[in-house]
Amino acid sequence: MDFATLASQLNAGTILPEGIVIATIMVVLVGDLIVGRARATRWTPYAAIAGLLAAVVALYLQWDSSDTIGFLGAFDGDALSIVFRGIVALSAAGTLLMSMRYVEQSGTALPEFIAILLTATLGGMFLSGANELVMVFIALETLSISSYLLTGYTKRDPRSNEAALKYLLIGASSSAIFLYGSSLLYGLSGGHTKLPEIAAQIAQANLGQSLGLVVALVFAIAGIAFKIAAVPFHQWTPDVYEGSPTPVVAFLSVGSKAAGFALAIRLLVTAFPAVTEEWHFVMTALAILSMVLGNVVALAQTSMKRLLAYSSIGQAGFIMIGLVVGSEAGYASMMFYLIAYLFMNLGAFACVILFALRTGTDQISEYSGLYQKDPLMTLALSVFLLSLGGIPPMVGFFGKLYLFWAGWQAGAYGLVLLGLVTSVISIYYYIRVVKMMVVKEPDEMSDAVKNYPEINWTLPGLRPLQVGMVGALIATSILGILSNPLFLLTNSAVQRTPILQASIAKTAQAKALARLEMPVVVVPDRQG
Amino acid sequence: MNLAEGVQFVSMGLLIATMLVTALGVVLLENIVYSAFLLGGVFVSIAGLYLLLNADFVATAQVLIYVGAVNVLILFAIMLVNNNRAFAVVEGTKVRNAATAIVCGGIFALLGTMVVTTPWAISSVPASGNASVMKIGLHFFSDFLLPFEVASVLLLMALVGAIVIARREFIPEIFSPKGEDEALMLPERPRDLVGSGKD
Repeated sequence: MDFATLASQLNAGTILPEGIVIATIMVVLVGDLIVGRARATRWTPYAAIAGLLAAVVALYLQWDSSDTIGFLGAFDGDALSIVFRGIVALSAAGTLLMSMRYVEQSGTALPEFIAILLTATLGGMFLSGANELVMVFIALETLSISSYLLTGYTKRDPRSNEAALKYLLIGASSSAIFLYGSSLLYGLSGGHTKLPEIAAQIAQANLGQSLGLVVALVFAIAGIAFKIAAVPFHQWTPDVYEGSPTPVVAFLSVGSKAAGFALAIRLLVTAFPAVTEEWHFVMTALAILSMVLGNVVALAQTSMKRLLAYSSIGQAGFIMIGLVVGSEAGYASMMFYLIAYLFMNLGAFACVILFALRTGTDQISEYSGLYQKDPLMTLALSVFLLSLGGIPPMVGFFGKLYLFWAGWQAGAYGLVLLGLVTSVISIYYYIRVVKMMVVKEPDEMSDAVKNYPEINWTLPGLRPLQVGMVGALIATSILGILSNPLFLLTNSAVQRTPILQASIAKTAQAKALARLEMPVVVVPDRQG
Repeated sequence: MNLAEGVQFVSMGLLIATMLVTALGVVLLENIVYSAFLLGGVFVSIAGLYLLLNADFVATAQVLIYVGAVNVLILFAIMLVNNNRAFAVVEGTKVRNAATAIVCGGIFALLGTMVVTTPWAISSVPASGNASVMKIGLHFFSDFLLPFEVASVLLLMALVGAIVIARREFIPEIFSPKGEDEALMLPERPRDLVGSGKD
C-alpha cells in the first residue's frame, strides 16, 4: 500500500468539522502566546465561537454525503453522528458565550480555558462518530481529561479542588472498567477492534450467549453510565456540579452527556446485537433509577447548582426511555429531546451564572423577589425551568411528549407512566423556584436581591451572555410551536443511519415473534 | 518437554509468583513507599510475561513507560507530600476490610469463571516476533491513524492543563461585594454547612 492509495482510502473529509475545531484550538493557543493575555482575552472567545459555528456549517454540508466511513473504519460520520456532533459543538459555543464574564470575574486565564473547552468539544465530537475501540477510548479520554482540568479551573477554591479530584478519581476508575470491557470484546472477537467486525465475529464464533460477552456488556455500560450520570453511577455529579465553575457545569450537563448518549447508541447497537434484550433490560433499570432518584432528591436541594445537577440526572433517565424502546421514534425522540435540552438547560445555566455574577450566591432562597429588580432574567429563568419541567407550549413539553409517545407506541407502558409521575414531581421543584422569584411581596425580598446591583450590560463579557440568554429564550419558546423542522431533522437522521435501521428492523422482528408466541403461553392459563 | 520449554515454564512460574506477591504487597502493606516500589516489581514482572509471549516491543515499552515514568512519578509524588502524620485510627476498619475482601473475592470468582467458561476465539496468526515494531508502525499509519493523531491533541492539552494548574499565578485583587477575597475562586459563596442537610 503506497502513500497515494492510502491517502485516497482514508476519506479524511469525514472529519472536516473536527479539523476546523483543531485549527481553532491552535489559533487560540498560538494567538494567546503571540499577543499576550490581556489582548488575547478580547478576541479569542469570538474566534472560538466562529470556529465552532464553522464546524456546524461543515457538519451541515456533510448531511447528504453517502460515503461516511473515514480512516479505514475508525470513524463513521453518518447522520446519527452529525446530529450529536452538532449538539456538542453548539453546546460548547453556548458555553463560551456565558463563560467570558465568569472567567474574567474569577481572575483566571480565559484563552487557556477556551482551548481546554475546545479540546473537550473535540473529544465529544470524535466520540459521537468513533467506530473502533481504540478511537472510542482515545476520544473518551480527550473528553474526560479536559473535563477534569476545567472542573479544577478555579484553583484557589477548595470546592473546585475537591470537585476536580473526585471527578478525576471516579472518572479514572470508570475508564479502567470500560477499558477492561473493551479488552474482553477484543478477545471475544479474536483480535478485532472495529465495532461492526466485533459483532460479526462474535456471531460467527457463536459466542452470543457466553458469560464473557455479558461481562463485557456490563463493564461497557458502567463506563457509559458514568458519562451520562445515570444512577447508580451518579455519585460524582452533585459535588462536581457544585464545585465546578458554572459554565463548565453547563457544558458537562449538555455536551458531555450528549457525547455519552452517542457512544451508548453506537456501541450498544453495533457491538452488542447478540445481547440486545440484556442491554435493554439493564438500561431500563438505569432509566427507572435515574428518573426516581434524580427527581426525588432534587426536591430537597437548597442550592441552584445542585438542583440542576439532580434534575440533569432525572432528565438523563427520560432520555434513556428513547434508547430502551429501540424503535425509530425512540431514537428520533432521544435526539429531539437532547436538542431541546441543549437550549433550555444552557439557558437555565446562563441565568444562574448571571445571578451569581451579580449577587455572588446560588442559593434558591436568595432568588426571592427577583421579579422586582430584574424582570428579563426572571422571565428567562422561568421559561427555562418550566420548559425543563415539561409545561406547554415550551420546547421541553414537546420533547417529553414525543419521548413518552414513542415509549407508549413501543409498549413500554410502565416506563412511560413512571416518567409521567416523575415529571410531575419535577414540575413541583421547578415551579418552587419560579414562585420564589415571582410571587413574593417586596418586603419578603432576600438580602441578595435587596442589594441587587444596577443592571449594566456594558461590562466586558456581559453582552455575549445576554445574547446567549435571549437566544436560548427565543429558541425554547418558539421551537416548541415550530417544532416541525426538528421532527424532520431527527427522523431523517434515524432513517439515514444504517446501523439504526438494522437494529430497528431486528427489534421489530423480535416484537412480532413475541406477539405470535404470546397466545400459546396465555391461552392454557385462561382455560385452567 | 525439551530444555527450552522447561526454561520457559520455570520462568513463567517465577514471573507469576513475583507478580502475585508484589501485587498483594502493594495492596496490603501499610507504608506507601513500600507499596510504590512493589508496584514497580509488578510492572517489571508483567514486562517479563510479555517477553515470554514474543512481544519484545511491548515489553520494552512497559519497562520504559510504566517503570521508568509512571512509577517514578508516583514515588516523586509520595516523597513531595511525605509528611509523617499519624492518622487517627478509623473505627470499624476490620469490618470494612472484610467487606472489601468479600467484594474483591466475588469479583475475582466472577471474572475467573468467565475466563474459564468462555470459549475464546484465539487468533491463529502466529506472533510476529522481531517484526512487531514494523507491524505496529504500519498500523499507526494506516488503520489506527486517527486515534494516533488524536492522541497528540490529547497530550498537548494535558500539557497545557498541567501548566495551568501548576504555574504560580499573579493573584489579582478581586473582592466580592462583601469584601471577601475571591480571586481564582468560584463567585458563588460556599453554603453554610450548619443546618443544611447534606444528602
